[in-house]
Amino acid sequence: MFLALKELRHSKTRFLMIAIIFVLISWLVFILSGLGNGLSTLAASTFKTMKADYVVFEQGSKASMSKSLLSNDLSAKLAKMPNVSAVSPMGTIMASAIKGSSKLNEDKVDIAIIGIDPGSFLEPAIIEGSGLTSDQVTKVIVNETMKDEGFKLGDTFQLDGSTESLTIVGFVKNQTYNHVAAVFTPMEEWRKLAFAAPGSDKGVKDPVNAIMLQGKDIDRSTINKQLSGTDTVTRAAAVQGMPGYKEENGTIMMMLAFLLAISAFIIGVFFYVFTMQKSNQFGIMKAIGAKNGFLGKAVVSQVFVLSLSSIIVGILLTYGTAAIMPKGMPFMLDTKLVFTYSIVLLVISLLSSLVSVRTISKIDPLKALGRVE
Amino acid sequence: MTEGLQITAASKYYNEGMNRIAALDRVSFKVEPGEFVAVVGPSGSGKSTFLSIAGALLKASEGKVRLNGKDISELSGKQLSDIRLHEIGFIMQASNLVPYLNVLDQLLVVKRMSGKVRAADKAMAIKLLEELGLGTKLKNYPEELSGGEKQRTAIARALINDPNVILADEPTASLDTKRAHEVVSLIAHEVRTRHKAAIMVTHDDRLLTYCDKVYRMEDGKLSLAELESIH
Repeated sequence: MFLALKELRHSKTRFLMIAIIFVLISWLVFILSGLGNGLSTLAASTFKTMKADYVVFEQGSKASMSKSLLSNDLSAKLAKMPNVSAVSPMGTIMASAIKGSSKLNEDKVDIAIIGIDPGSFLEPAIIEGSGLTSDQVTKVIVNETMKDEGFKLGDTFQLDGSTESLTIVGFVKNQTYNHVAAVFTPMEEWRKLAFAAPGSDKGVKDPVNAIMLQGKDIDRSTINKQLSGTDTVTRAAAVQGMPGYKEENGTIMMMLAFLLAISAFIIGVFFYVFTMQKSNQFGIMKAIGAKNGFLGKAVVSQVFVLSLSSIIVGILLTYGTAAIMPKGMPFMLDTKLVFTYSIVLLVISLLSSLVSVRTISKIDPLKALGRVE
Repeated sequence: MTEGLQITAASKYYNEGMNRIAALDRVSFKVEPGEFVAVVGPSGSGKSTFLSIAGALLKASEGKVRLNGKDISELSGKQLSDIRLHEIGFIMQASNLVPYLNVLDQLLVVKRMSGKVRAADKAMAIKLLEELGLGTKLKNYPEELSGGEKQRTAIARALINDPNVILADEPTASLDTKRAHEVVSLIAHEVRTRHKAAIMVTHDDRLLTYCDKVYRMEDGKLSLAELESIH
């Protein structure tokens, strides 16, 4: 640490330049992770925050709501399966809400209509207004982001391409599905909207898209075997099955992976070149008795101090950026995620400094004499 | 005799193509505490190889090297590091200070190599630097020092661990005559008052008057030279 800090203080410009690069990299890493987090929340927060553990789909539906159609008759059978503590059906369709009878572009809002049983474990907590009721099926609860679009409690809106209209009786928080605001309706109303065309329910009795299960350690293969034509997956698998979810996340993850690899090389190469430049100096210190460990520690602690301070600056800049970002940006910083990426960055830079440590251990102290014979 | 440095029939061979070159040819040599010995010779004569072997930087192909009565020819790299740290003081050419350490830290870093720096070590370093006339330069960096001051710092660095043997490699290489005399007389003074065994490798004939004995190195062979014949 002694040598490391003395040198940092002495060659400020040199270290400042590499620190700036590392700050920019960590800044970008944090912003990308926030963006990835925000996007995946937008894509699937309804699924992610749902209190369900497993999802039963139709066989061959690739764990996707839009490709699955089941009869609600299955619910009774599922409830009797081992370890299943609660069962509730769910259905989704995409739609557009029209404010009043406006013909303006901006008065059409994309929404995801999610049919659930009122009062079931799938109904999210209300932050304003009241919940769903079974007897008034056109009364709905919607995500609070619809307030930004000008919708208020008690508003009634039309659905595009339908004669149905829905009335907002409550607001919920963090409920988005397929990147748009979620609108929860009772199952009965959802069926009316989803299967408006005759025959689109394929003649299934009480059709639903999927049935959600609550319960620990449910044996999926037993259910698949006993109820033919079904496919039970974990909730995480159902999230992955959402259209575009994997691709979207994959892109962000790929960028992050490249960034981390780049940062490893930048730090590694910088300190390697730096070490080569100083090989004479290291030779002198070895000649007067410094061991490889002593010099190696100096380099590693230098990398540690430099990366740690760059990461901290990067975090501060990221939170600063988050504060001035426009509200509609799908950007969500997660402290746990920021912490994880900080540790990953730190570990990567320390690992890359080991190349320099190896170089140091190979320097011959004879160099100090200036003329190796 | 158990103190000082004793080299017995040491040889060092290098392979150059099919030939085997003897950089050092059965050299025997002894230096006792309080003795200041010079080794002179043309470049390529094997002076550096000799100094490297004496300084535990290089292992001899044959022969024995005894430091304070202890055979160091069979020690591991790590043990040699410790020997260099505690029992040998190196004075190298002028530029061989660590550029980002001030004069005081140049000495303290040596202390750090073997563990923690205690207050007593710091006091000792300051006292040593004051004795060598560097009391006002403690916080200066090498780039702010004159050639003579740099070399005095190097002398202090060589003495900080109170080693028994001092090795000086061309200590006057980049100094003018006046400074060169100052530096070598200072080394001679420290060697005698502190009772160290010292070897100086040089090709600067002006400075041999300060030495007790002068050896001449030629084609890997070491022979005692008559002081008078040089002057």
